[in-house]
Amino acid sequence: MSHFPAIAELVTNTRAVLPDTPVKVVADEFFHDAHLDAVAIVENGHPTALMTRTKFLFTVFRQFGWEIYQRKSITSLADHDPLILPESERLDVALSLALQRKADDLYDEIVVVRGDGTFAGLIAVRQMVVQQTHALANVIVQKELAHERARELEEIGRIKSQFLANVTHELRSPVNAIIELGELMRISAEQGFVEQVRDRLTLLLSSATNLRSVITNMLDLSKIEAGRMRVFVEPFDLVPLLREVADTTRVLLGGKPVEVIVSTEAGAIPMTSDPVKVRQVILNLAANAAKFTDAGRIVLQQTSGTSTISIDVHDTGIGIRAEDVQKLFIAFSQIEDAQTKHHEGSGLGLAITRELTQMLGGRVSVESEPGRGSTFTVHFPKEISS
Amino acid sequence: MNKQKILIVDDDIAHLDSTRGILEAEGYEVFTHNQPFGSTNAIVSIKPDLVLLDVNMPGLSGEKLADVYRANARTRTSRVMLYSSNDEDALRDAARRLQLDGYICKGSPSTLRLKVAAVLTR
Repeated sequence: MSHFPAIAELVTNTRAVLPDTPVKVVADEFFHDAHLDAVAIVENGHPTALMTRTKFLFTVFRQFGWEIYQRKSITSLADHDPLILPESERLDVALSLALQRKADDLYDEIVVVRGDGTFAGLIAVRQMVVQQTHALANVIVQKELAHERARELEEIGRIKSQFLANVTHELRSPVNAIIELGELMRISAEQGFVEQVRDRLTLLLSSATNLRSVITNMLDLSKIEAGRMRVFVEPFDLVPLLREVADTTRVLLGGKPVEVIVSTEAGAIPMTSDPVKVRQVILNLAANAAKFTDAGRIVLQQTSGTSTISIDVHDTGIGIRAEDVQKLFIAFSQIEDAQTKHHEGSGLGLAITRELTQMLGGRVSVESEPGRGSTFTVHFPKEISS
Repeated sequence: MNKQKILIVDDDIAHLDSTRGILEAEGYEVFTHNQPFGSTNAIVSIKPDLVLLDVNMPGLSGEKLADVYRANARTRTSRVMLYSSNDEDALRDAARRLQLDGYICKGSPSTLRLKVAAVLTR
């Protein structure tokens, strides 16, 4: 497709007179309309000649022009060989033809005719030059946009394949560990080493739990992206939910010397929200803490405001650099090269955590000190309506 | 007869432990190194008959590490196999490209035993 419009779009002047119109009448036309650059002479609908303002004035006001011509027909003065082009002609072609004319006629108007040769209107050459410049600028902008789009697509493709490589590894790695640990436990059991079986069960459960969270996050991401994530609101007590999250976190730690502590206000902590999503949000934060903490403790601390409940997930792990904090909650931000990335994970957990928190009317924030640990805080409304 | 020595380089403790256990049960002497850095020295001091090298590791990938081994006169002749949860095609390509002694996909103890035995009897 061409970027240049057909000249039909540029026609604004459709002023025409009959061949026998007196020069005096045309003079009045030019006099009354200061913007009228030219009139076409049209007979039976077909253009036969062109009268431009410049030539008209030049002729009638020279020597005795007015006395000689004022009573004659306009045809006696007009240019009988104007450039006539079909309205379907492309702007760039039309302009090129116009500029090939004799120097004297260069800046005359161009007569535009319809497919059947009837008069459609006039276009000023200078108008065509302006339009041509716009069209050229547009072509450049369009090309630049196309290039940019191509670069974006390339980047998206790169991220997709990187993501796929990461996810493939994230799914296979825990499955493989489960199989190998199972095999090892079989060997230990045959040899009667119960203690070894127990140790390996801890690792096996950790791998299986980790695999489940990877799968859950991937399925949730696809649900969120498809707009199919629903919120089911019901009343529940936050305390047992936090204990459950703490138990899972202990499994995820896989024997690392990390203590998991739950700290809540006394008694039940009633909430009306979606308990499955609340648990998933807190578990994602706690699982993250477990991943990045090799020793020390992870504390799940609950506090209440007037209409909100906040849960701090504090760890004594590696912490997060200030420049990385901004990227934490963006999906795929952990997409480094799968072969050299520093930590397992698809980089989706925190992005999903934020999405889910927002669905429940809450928000999540983080404070961290590299080398000392991180505290993720999630604030939920105590009650949301279904 | 001296036991044949195998060094496993892997940052994942679950894989490191389970692979060690499976191979020890086969009668090999197994050493583990849980990060890419320092593994060259481990090869030099242990002089293993085979190195099982994980691919995805923080900081330095197994593929890069294999290049390092090949460039170092003291580790150039070590037998090295890639050992990973990555896609099998990718592993096979990498093992060929880096002129290693093969690859083993994680997750199949029987294949692990067979391939290790095959390489060590070459």
